[in-house]
Amino acid sequence: MTSPDISIPSLILCFLLLVIPLAISYRIKLQISRTTIDSVSRMTVQLGMVGVFLTYVFDLNNGVLNLAWVMGMVTIASYTTIRNVELKMNKLLLPVILSFMAANLSVLLYFNEFVLDLGNLLEARYLIPIGGMILGNSLRGNIVGMGEFYEDIRRNENRYLYSLSLGASRYEALIPYIRKCLRSALRPTLANIATAGVVFLPGMMTGQILGGTSPILAIKYQISIMVALYVSTAMSTSFSIFSTIQTTFDEYGLVKKEIYREKGKRKGTRK
Amino acid sequence: MQDEIIRYENAGIHFGSKKVLSNFSLCIPKGKKILMKGKSGTGKSTLFKILLGFEQLSEGSVYYRGVPLSPRVAWQIRKDVAYVSQDTDLGEGPVRDLLEEVRSYRPNREKIAPEKLHILMQELELEKDILEKDFENLSGGEKQRIGILIALLLERDIFLLDEATSALDAGLKKKVAEHFLKHSHWTLFVISHDREWEKDGVEIVTIGSNGSD
Repeated sequence: MTSPDISIPSLILCFLLLVIPLAISYRIKLQISRTTIDSVSRMTVQLGMVGVFLTYVFDLNNGVLNLAWVMGMVTIASYTTIRNVELKMNKLLLPVILSFMAANLSVLLYFNEFVLDLGNLLEARYLIPIGGMILGNSLRGNIVGMGEFYEDIRRNENRYLYSLSLGASRYEALIPYIRKCLRSALRPTLANIATAGVVFLPGMMTGQILGGTSPILAIKYQISIMVALYVSTAMSTSFSIFSTIQTTFDEYGLVKKEIYREKGKRKGTRK
Repeated sequence: MQDEIIRYENAGIHFGSKKVLSNFSLCIPKGKKILMKGKSGTGKSTLFKILLGFEQLSEGSVYYRGVPLSPRVAWQIRKDVAYVSQDTDLGEGPVRDLLEEVRSYRPNREKIAPEKLHILMQELELEKDILEKDFENLSGGEKQRIGILIALLLERDIFLLDEATSALDAGLKKKVAEHFLKHSHWTLFVISHDREWEKDGVEIVTIGSNGSD
Protein backbone atom coordinates (compact mmCIF):
# COMPACT_ATOMS: atom_id res chain seq x y z
CA MET A 1 0.00 0.00 0.00
CA THR A 2 1.80 3.13 -1.15
CA SER A 3 0.64 6.63 -1.97
CA PRO A 4 -0.11 7.46 -5.60
CA ASP A 5 2.58 9.55 -7.29
CA ILE A 6 1.97 13.27 -7.84
CA SER A 7 3.04 14.11 -11.36
CA ILE A 8 4.43 17.49 -12.39
CA PRO A 9 1.20 18.49 -14.23
CA SER A 10 -0.76 17.60 -11.06
CA LEU A 11 1.54 19.88 -9.04
CA ILE A 12 0.83 22.68 -11.49
CA LEU A 13 -2.90 22.07 -10.99
CA CYS A 14 -2.28 22.41 -7.26
CA PHE A 15 -0.48 25.74 -7.70
CA LEU A 16 -3.48 26.91 -9.73
CA LEU A 17 -5.45 27.03 -6.46
CA LEU A 18 -3.28 29.98 -5.41
CA VAL A 19 -5.22 32.17 -7.81
CA ILE A 20 -7.92 32.34 -5.13
CA PRO A 21 -5.93 34.01 -2.33
CA LEU A 22 -4.21 36.19 -4.93
CA ALA A 23 -7.58 37.36 -6.21
CA ILE A 24 -8.75 38.10 -2.69
CA SER A 25 -5.54 39.97 -2.00
CA TYR A 26 -5.95 42.02 -5.17
CA ARG A 27 -9.63 42.76 -4.58
CA ILE A 28 -9.41 44.03 -1.02
CA LYS A 29 -5.83 45.33 -1.23
CA LEU A 30 -4.44 42.91 1.32
CA GLN A 31 -1.01 43.49 -0.20
CA ILE A 32 0.09 39.96 0.34
CA SER A 33 0.36 38.92 -3.33
CA ARG A 34 4.10 39.45 -3.44
CA THR A 35 4.64 37.70 -0.15
CA THR A 36 2.45 34.82 -1.28
CA ILE A 37 4.41 34.35 -4.48
CA ASP A 38 7.71 34.77 -2.66
CA SER A 39 6.78 32.31 0.04
CA VAL A 40 5.44 29.68 -2.31
CA SER A 41 8.46 29.93 -4.60
CA ARG A 42 10.81 29.75 -1.65
CA MET A 43 9.01 26.72 -0.30
CA THR A 44 9.11 24.97 -3.66
CA VAL A 45 12.81 25.58 -4.20
CA GLN A 46 13.70 24.73 -0.59
CA LEU A 47 11.68 21.52 -0.52
CA GLY A 48 12.97 20.54 -3.95
CA MET A 49 16.54 20.90 -2.73
CA VAL A 50 15.76 19.20 0.55
CA GLY A 51 14.20 16.28 -1.32
CA VAL A 52 17.38 15.76 -3.33
CA PHE A 53 19.63 16.36 -0.36
CA LEU A 54 17.71 14.18 2.06
CA THR A 55 17.97 11.27 -0.37
CA TYR A 56 21.77 11.50 -0.02
CA VAL A 57 21.70 12.15 3.72
CA PHE A 58 19.44 9.17 4.33
CA ASP A 59 21.67 6.96 2.19
CA LEU A 60 24.83 8.07 3.98
CA ASN A 61 23.11 8.14 7.40
CA ASN A 62 26.19 9.58 9.08
CA GLY A 63 25.42 10.65 12.68
CA VAL A 64 27.63 13.74 12.61
CA LEU A 65 26.20 14.88 9.29
CA ASN A 66 22.64 14.34 10.55
CA LEU A 67 23.31 16.39 13.64
CA ALA A 68 24.94 19.10 11.53
CA TRP A 69 21.81 19.16 9.40
CA VAL A 70 19.68 19.70 12.51
CA MET A 71 22.04 22.47 13.69
CA GLY A 72 21.59 24.13 10.32
CA MET A 73 17.84 23.98 10.82
CA VAL A 74 18.25 25.49 14.30
CA THR A 75 20.20 28.41 12.89
CA ILE A 76 17.67 29.07 10.16
CA ALA A 77 14.76 28.81 12.62
CA SER A 78 16.43 31.32 14.97
CA TYR A 79 17.21 33.69 12.14
CA THR A 80 13.65 33.49 10.85
CA THR A 81 12.21 34.14 14.31
CA ILE A 82 14.17 37.35 14.78
CA ARG A 83 13.43 38.55 11.26
CA ASN A 84 9.74 38.01 11.77
CA VAL A 85 9.55 39.91 15.03
CA GLU A 86 11.09 43.07 13.55
CA LEU A 87 14.16 42.92 15.72
CA LYS A 88 17.79 43.30 14.81
CA MET A 89 20.04 40.28 14.56
CA ASN A 90 23.27 41.30 16.25
CA LYS A 91 22.22 41.28 19.90
CA LEU A 92 19.66 38.51 19.57
CA LEU A 93 20.87 35.79 17.23
CA LEU A 94 23.26 34.08 19.60
CA PRO A 95 20.92 33.83 22.61
CA VAL A 96 18.08 32.64 20.38
CA ILE A 97 20.24 29.98 18.68
CA LEU A 98 21.44 28.75 22.07
CA SER A 99 17.87 28.65 23.39
CA PHE A 100 16.64 26.73 20.37
CA MET A 101 19.53 24.28 20.65
CA ALA A 102 19.18 23.68 24.37
CA ALA A 103 15.42 23.24 24.26
CA ASN A 104 14.85 21.46 20.99
CA LEU A 105 17.91 19.21 20.87
CA SER A 106 17.34 17.94 24.39
CA VAL A 107 13.70 17.12 23.69
CA LEU A 108 14.61 15.56 20.34
CA LEU A 109 17.31 13.33 21.76
CA TYR A 110 15.15 12.37 24.75
CA PHE A 111 12.36 11.48 22.36
CA ASN A 112 14.62 9.32 20.18
CA GLU A 113 16.23 7.61 23.15
CA PHE A 114 13.33 6.99 25.51
CA VAL A 115 10.16 7.18 23.45
CA LEU A 116 11.24 5.62 20.16
CA ASP A 117 14.00 3.61 21.79
CA LEU A 118 16.19 3.89 18.70
CA GLY A 119 19.41 1.93 18.55
CA ASN A 120 21.05 4.88 16.83
CA LEU A 121 20.01 8.21 18.38
CA LEU A 122 21.15 10.09 15.32
CA GLU A 123 19.34 7.93 12.77
CA ALA A 124 18.58 10.26 9.87
CA ARG A 125 15.11 8.93 9.16
CA TYR A 126 13.95 10.01 12.65
CA LEU A 127 16.30 12.77 13.72
CA ILE A 128 15.73 15.04 10.75
CA PRO A 129 11.94 14.90 10.24
CA ILE A 130 11.11 14.89 13.95
CA GLY A 131 13.68 17.61 14.55
CA GLY A 132 12.04 19.59 11.78
CA MET A 133 8.60 19.27 13.32
CA ILE A 134 9.82 20.26 16.77
CA LEU A 135 11.74 23.22 15.38
CA GLY A 136 8.85 24.32 13.19
CA ASN A 137 6.51 24.43 16.14
CA SER A 138 9.07 26.21 18.33
CA LEU A 139 9.57 28.70 15.56
CA ARG A 140 5.90 29.59 15.55
CA GLY A 141 5.78 29.81 19.34
CA ASN A 142 8.86 32.00 19.42
CA ILE A 143 7.59 34.37 16.77
CA VAL A 144 4.40 34.92 18.77
CA GLY A 145 6.14 35.01 22.15
CA MET A 146 9.16 37.13 21.32
CA GLY A 147 7.15 39.36 19.02
CA GLU A 148 4.54 40.08 21.63
CA PHE A 149 7.07 40.53 24.42
CA TYR A 150 9.21 43.13 22.66
CA GLU A 151 6.22 44.88 21.11
CA ASP A 152 4.44 45.08 24.44
CA ILE A 153 7.50 46.46 26.21
CA ARG A 154 7.79 49.13 23.58
CA ARG A 155 4.12 50.04 23.44
CA ASN A 156 3.59 50.04 27.19
CA GLU A 157 6.94 51.50 28.08
CA ASN A 158 5.41 53.91 30.60
CA ARG A 159 3.89 51.06 32.53
CA TYR A 160 7.22 49.26 32.67
CA LEU A 161 9.08 52.41 33.72
CA TYR A 162 6.50 53.07 36.39
CA SER A 163 7.12 49.61 37.87
CA LEU A 164 10.84 50.35 37.92
CA SER A 165 10.18 53.67 39.64
CA LEU A 166 8.27 51.80 42.35
CA GLY A 167 11.39 49.85 43.18
CA ALA A 168 10.84 46.76 41.05
CA SER A 169 13.89 44.86 39.88
CA ARG A 170 14.12 44.32 36.14
CA TYR A 171 12.80 40.81 36.60
CA GLU A 172 9.93 41.94 38.84
CA ALA A 173 8.92 44.61 36.35
CA LEU A 174 9.15 42.24 33.38
CA ILE A 175 7.39 39.22 34.76
CA PRO A 176 3.84 40.39 33.86
CA TYR A 177 5.01 40.85 30.25
CA ILE A 178 6.73 37.46 30.26
CA ARG A 179 3.64 35.71 31.58
CA LYS A 180 1.46 37.34 28.99
CA CYS A 181 3.64 36.55 26.01
CA LEU A 182 4.31 32.95 27.05
CA ARG A 183 0.58 32.38 27.35
CA SER A 184 0.07 33.73 23.85
CA ALA A 185 2.93 31.64 22.52
CA LEU A 186 1.61 28.39 23.94
CA ARG A 187 -2.07 28.93 23.28
CA PRO A 188 -2.03 27.80 19.60
CA THR A 189 -0.12 24.61 20.44
CA LEU A 190 -2.49 23.86 23.30
CA ALA A 191 -5.47 24.47 21.05
CA ASN A 192 -3.97 22.13 18.47
CA ILE A 193 -3.46 19.46 21.09
CA ALA A 194 -6.97 19.80 22.44
CA THR A 195 -8.62 19.60 19.04
CA ALA A 196 -6.38 16.93 17.51
CA GLY A 197 -8.45 14.23 15.88
CA VAL A 198 -11.69 16.15 16.26
CA VAL A 199 -11.15 19.16 14.08
CA PHE A 200 -8.19 18.04 12.04
CA LEU A 201 -5.97 15.04 11.50
CA PRO A 202 -2.48 16.25 12.30
CA GLY A 203 0.00 16.38 9.45
CA MET A 204 2.34 13.70 10.59
CA MET A 205 -0.41 11.21 11.24
CA THR A 206 -1.95 11.95 7.87
CA GLY A 207 1.43 11.42 6.26
CA GLN A 208 1.97 8.10 7.99
CA ILE A 209 -1.49 6.87 7.10
CA LEU A 210 -1.00 7.93 3.48
CA GLY A 211 2.31 6.09 3.62
CA GLY A 212 0.59 2.88 4.70
CA THR A 213 1.09 2.79 8.49
CA SER A 214 -1.76 1.43 10.61
CA PRO A 215 -3.90 4.17 12.19
CA ILE A 216 -3.18 2.90 15.70
CA LEU A 217 0.58 3.18 15.29
CA ALA A 218 0.17 6.53 13.54
CA ILE A 219 -1.86 7.78 16.49
CA LYS A 220 0.70 6.66 19.04
CA TYR A 221 3.35 8.56 17.11
CA GLN A 222 1.10 11.57 16.92
CA ILE A 223 0.36 11.58 20.64
CA SER A 224 4.02 11.41 21.57
CA ILE A 225 5.05 14.00 19.02
CA MET A 226 2.41 16.44 20.24
CA VAL A 227 3.69 16.17 23.76
CA ALA A 228 7.21 16.72 22.48
CA LEU A 229 6.09 19.75 20.47
CA TYR A 230 4.41 21.35 23.46
CA VAL A 231 7.36 20.74 25.76
CA SER A 232 9.94 21.99 23.30
CA THR A 233 7.92 25.08 22.42
CA ALA A 234 7.40 25.96 26.07
CA MET A 235 11.09 25.44 26.78
CA SER A 236 12.49 27.24 23.77
CA THR A 237 10.20 30.25 24.07
CA SER A 238 10.97 30.69 27.77
CA PHE A 239 14.68 30.25 27.12
CA SER A 240 14.61 32.75 24.26
CA ILE A 241 12.86 35.39 26.32
CA PHE A 242 15.02 34.92 29.40
CA SER A 243 18.28 34.75 27.48
CA THR A 244 17.61 37.69 25.17
CA ILE A 245 16.66 39.84 28.17
CA GLN A 246 20.30 39.57 29.19
CA THR A 247 21.45 41.34 26.04
CA THR A 248 18.55 43.62 25.15
CA PHE A 249 18.34 45.72 28.32
CA ASP A 250 20.89 48.27 29.48
CA GLU A 251 22.30 48.82 32.96
CA TYR A 252 19.44 51.14 33.80
CA GLY A 253 17.00 48.34 33.06
CA LEU A 254 15.71 50.01 29.91
CA VAL A 255 15.18 48.14 26.68
CA LYS A 256 17.82 49.17 24.14
CA LYS A 257 16.07 51.11 21.41
CA GLU A 258 18.57 49.97 18.81
CA ILE A 259 17.34 46.38 18.90
CA TYR A 260 14.18 47.41 17.07
CA ARG A 261 14.25 47.50 13.30
CA GLU A 262 12.78 50.68 11.90
CA LYS A 263 9.16 50.04 11.20
CA GLY A 264 7.19 53.23 11.04
CA LYS A 265 8.34 56.34 12.84
CA ARG A 266 9.85 56.36 16.28
CA LYS A 267 10.76 59.30 18.41
CA GLY A 268 14.41 60.13 17.86
CA THR A 269 16.60 58.53 20.49
CA ARG A 270 17.35 61.06 23.15
CA LYS A 271 20.99 61.20 23.89
CA MET B 1 25.78 70.03 52.37
CA GLN B 2 25.37 66.72 54.12
CA ASP B 3 21.61 66.58 53.79
CA GLU B 4 21.58 67.49 50.12
CA ILE B 5 19.25 65.09 48.32
CA ILE B 6 19.18 66.15 44.68
CA ARG B 7 21.45 68.52 42.80
CA TYR B 8 21.47 69.46 39.12
CA GLU B 9 24.59 71.19 37.86
CA ASN B 10 24.45 73.04 34.53
CA ALA B 11 22.03 70.44 33.29
CA GLY B 12 21.01 70.55 29.64
CA ILE B 13 18.45 68.59 27.68
CA HIS B 14 18.35 68.30 23.91
CA PHE B 15 15.69 66.49 21.96
CA GLY B 16 17.47 65.62 18.77
CA SER B 17 19.02 68.87 17.63
CA LYS B 18 16.58 71.01 19.63
CA LYS B 19 17.86 72.39 22.91
CA VAL B 20 14.98 72.51 25.35
CA LEU B 21 16.92 73.27 28.50
CA SER B 22 20.41 74.44 29.26
CA ASN B 23 22.42 75.54 32.26
CA PHE B 24 19.86 74.38 34.76
CA SER B 25 21.19 74.24 38.30
CA LEU B 26 19.21 73.43 41.42
CA CYS B 27 20.03 72.03 44.81
CA ILE B 28 17.32 70.36 46.88
CA PRO B 29 18.23 69.72 50.52
CA LYS B 30 16.31 67.32 52.72
CA GLY B 31 12.86 68.57 53.70
CA LYS B 32 12.75 71.20 50.96
CA LYS B 33 9.59 71.78 48.95
CA ILE B 34 10.15 72.83 45.36
CA LEU B 35 7.40 73.73 42.92
CA MET B 36 8.65 73.76 39.35
CA LYS B 37 6.69 75.76 36.80
CA GLY B 38 7.14 76.50 33.14
CA LYS B 39 5.52 76.03 29.76
CA SER B 40 5.13 72.55 28.37
CA GLY B 41 8.05 71.28 26.35
CA THR B 42 10.64 72.87 28.60
CA GLY B 43 11.94 69.53 29.85
CA LYS B 44 10.42 69.56 33.35
CA SER B 45 9.23 65.97 33.23
CA THR B 46 12.52 64.96 31.67
CA LEU B 47 14.36 66.33 34.72
CA PHE B 48 12.44 63.77 36.80
CA LYS B 49 13.03 60.97 34.34
CA ILE B 50 16.74 61.67 34.39
CA LEU B 51 16.84 61.13 38.14
CA LEU B 52 15.09 57.80 37.71
CA GLY B 53 17.52 56.77 34.99
CA PHE B 54 14.86 56.77 32.26
CA GLU B 55 16.54 59.51 30.24
CA GLN B 56 20.08 60.83 29.98
CA LEU B 57 21.23 64.41 30.43
CA SER B 58 22.62 65.92 27.26
CA GLU B 59 25.06 68.05 29.24
CA GLY B 60 25.92 68.82 32.83
CA SER B 61 25.43 66.48 35.75
CA VAL B 62 23.02 65.29 38.45
CA TYR B 63 23.88 64.20 41.97
CA TYR B 64 21.87 62.17 44.42
CA ARG B 65 23.01 62.58 48.01
CA GLY B 66 26.25 63.98 46.62
CA VAL B 67 26.97 61.03 44.33
CA PRO B 68 26.89 61.51 40.55
CA LEU B 69 24.13 59.60 38.84
CA SER B 70 25.11 56.15 37.58
CA PRO B 71 23.09 52.99 36.96
CA ARG B 72 23.70 51.91 40.55
CA VAL B 73 22.53 55.26 41.91
CA ALA B 74 19.46 55.27 39.65
CA TRP B 75 18.40 51.83 40.95
CA GLN B 76 18.80 53.19 44.50
CA ILE B 77 16.74 56.29 43.71
CA ARG B 78 13.94 54.04 42.43
CA LYS B 79 13.83 52.46 45.88
CA ASP B 80 14.02 55.73 47.80
CA VAL B 81 11.80 58.04 45.81
CA ALA B 82 8.06 57.97 45.22
CA TYR B 83 7.30 59.09 41.69
CA VAL B 84 3.86 60.05 40.40
CA SER B 85 3.83 60.55 36.65
CA GLN B 86 1.45 62.62 34.55
CA ASP B 87 -0.47 59.55 33.51
CA THR B 88 -0.25 56.72 35.98
CA ASP B 89 -0.30 53.46 34.05
CA LEU B 90 -0.41 50.48 36.37
CA GLY B 91 -1.42 47.90 33.79
CA GLU B 92 -4.48 45.77 33.28
CA GLY B 93 -6.64 44.07 35.84
CA PRO B 94 -8.33 44.82 39.16
CA VAL B 95 -6.73 47.57 41.23
CA ARG B 96 -6.38 45.20 44.19
CA ASP B 97 -4.22 42.78 42.17
CA LEU B 98 -2.09 45.59 40.83
CA LEU B 99 -1.48 46.95 44.33
CA GLU B 100 -0.52 43.42 45.37
CA GLU B 101 1.95 43.33 42.48
CA VAL B 102 3.53 46.60 43.63
CA ARG B 103 3.69 45.20 47.12
CA SER B 104 5.51 42.10 45.87
CA TYR B 105 8.55 44.16 44.79
CA ARG B 106 11.36 43.51 47.21
CA PRO B 107 11.74 47.06 48.63
CA ASN B 108 7.99 47.30 49.22
CA ARG B 109 7.43 44.11 51.20
CA GLU B 110 5.71 44.79 54.52
CA LYS B 111 4.47 48.09 53.07
CA ILE B 112 0.90 48.85 51.96
CA ALA B 113 -0.75 47.98 55.26
CA PRO B 114 -4.53 47.44 54.92
CA GLU B 115 -5.46 49.92 57.69
CA LYS B 116 -3.34 52.60 56.11
CA LEU B 117 -4.78 51.82 52.71
CA HIS B 118 -8.31 52.44 53.96
CA ILE B 119 -7.47 55.66 55.74
CA LEU B 120 -5.71 57.05 52.69
CA MET B 121 -8.46 55.93 50.36
CA GLN B 122 -10.96 57.82 52.48
CA GLU B 123 -8.79 60.87 52.48
CA LEU B 124 -8.49 60.71 48.69
CA GLU B 125 -12.25 60.19 48.42
CA LEU B 126 -11.89 56.81 46.76
CA GLU B 127 -14.77 54.37 47.22
CA LYS B 128 -13.90 50.97 48.63
CA ASP B 129 -15.23 49.12 45.60
CA ILE B 130 -12.61 50.76 43.40
CA LEU B 131 -10.24 48.00 44.46
CA GLU B 132 -12.33 45.48 42.55
CA LYS B 133 -12.55 47.58 39.39
CA ASP B 134 -10.23 47.16 36.43
CA PHE B 135 -7.59 49.84 36.45
CA GLU B 136 -7.87 50.54 32.73
CA ASN B 137 -11.55 51.45 33.11
CA LEU B 138 -10.98 54.11 35.76
CA SER B 139 -11.35 57.80 34.96
CA GLY B 140 -8.29 60.03 34.66
CA GLY B 141 -8.91 61.50 38.09
CA GLU B 142 -9.26 58.07 39.67
CA LYS B 143 -6.07 56.81 38.07
CA GLN B 144 -4.29 59.89 39.31
CA ARG B 145 -5.51 59.29 42.85
CA ILE B 146 -4.38 55.66 42.68
CA GLY B 147 -0.94 56.97 41.70
CA ILE B 148 -0.92 59.32 44.71
CA LEU B 149 -2.23 56.53 46.92
CA ILE B 150 0.63 54.23 45.95
CA ALA B 151 3.19 56.99 46.44
CA LEU B 152 1.90 57.55 49.97
CA LEU B 153 1.63 53.86 50.83
CA LEU B 154 5.27 53.16 50.00
CA GLU B 155 6.33 55.14 53.07
CA ARG B 156 9.09 56.93 51.22
CA ASP B 157 10.03 60.49 52.07
CA ILE B 158 11.24 61.93 48.80
CA PHE B 159 8.54 62.67 46.24
CA LEU B 160 8.65 63.49 42.56
CA LEU B 161 5.16 64.60 41.63
CA ASP B 162 4.62 65.33 37.95
CA GLU B 163 1.26 67.09 37.50
CA ALA B 164 -0.06 64.68 40.08
CA THR B 165 -3.18 66.72 40.88
CA SER B 166 -4.10 68.05 37.43
CA ALA B 167 -7.28 65.97 37.01
CA LEU B 168 -8.64 66.44 40.53
CA ASP B 169 -11.35 68.90 41.56
CA ALA B 170 -10.33 72.03 43.45
CA GLY B 171 -11.26 70.70 46.88
CA LEU B 172 -9.23 67.56 46.45
CA LYS B 173 -6.25 69.40 44.95
CA LYS B 174 -6.10 71.47 48.13
CA LYS B 175 -6.40 68.44 50.35
CA VAL B 176 -3.68 66.51 48.53
CA ALA B 177 -1.30 69.46 48.46
CA GLU B 178 -1.84 70.06 52.17
CA HIS B 179 -1.28 66.40 52.96
CA PHE B 180 2.08 66.43 51.24
CA LEU B 181 3.15 69.82 52.56
CA LYS B 182 2.40 69.15 56.21
CA HIS B 183 5.25 66.66 56.62
CA SER B 184 8.26 68.81 57.35
CA HIS B 185 10.82 66.05 56.75
CA TRP B 186 9.42 65.09 53.33
CA THR B 187 11.38 66.33 50.37
CA LEU B 188 9.00 67.41 47.62
CA PHE B 189 9.90 68.10 44.03
CA VAL B 190 6.66 69.04 42.31
CA ILE B 191 5.75 69.96 38.76
CA SER B 192 2.32 71.54 38.72
CA HIS B 193 0.21 74.31 37.29
CA ASP B 194 -2.12 74.10 40.29
CA ARG B 195 -2.22 77.13 42.60
CA GLU B 196 -2.93 74.83 45.53
CA TRP B 197 0.78 74.03 45.77
CA GLU B 198 1.82 77.67 46.13
CA LYS B 199 2.00 77.81 49.90
CA ASP B 200 4.40 79.26 52.42
CA GLY B 201 7.63 77.35 52.56
CA VAL B 202 7.35 76.25 48.94
CA GLU B 203 10.05 77.57 46.68
CA ILE B 204 8.91 78.24 43.14
CA VAL B 205 11.36 77.54 40.34
CA THR B 206 10.39 78.70 36.88
CA ILE B 207 12.18 77.14 33.97
CA GLY B 208 12.21 77.68 30.25
CA SER B 209 12.11 81.49 30.45
CA ASN B 210 15.85 81.95 30.21
CA GLY B 211 18.76 80.23 28.56
CA SER B 212 17.22 78.12 25.87
CA ASP B 213 15.76 79.41 22.64
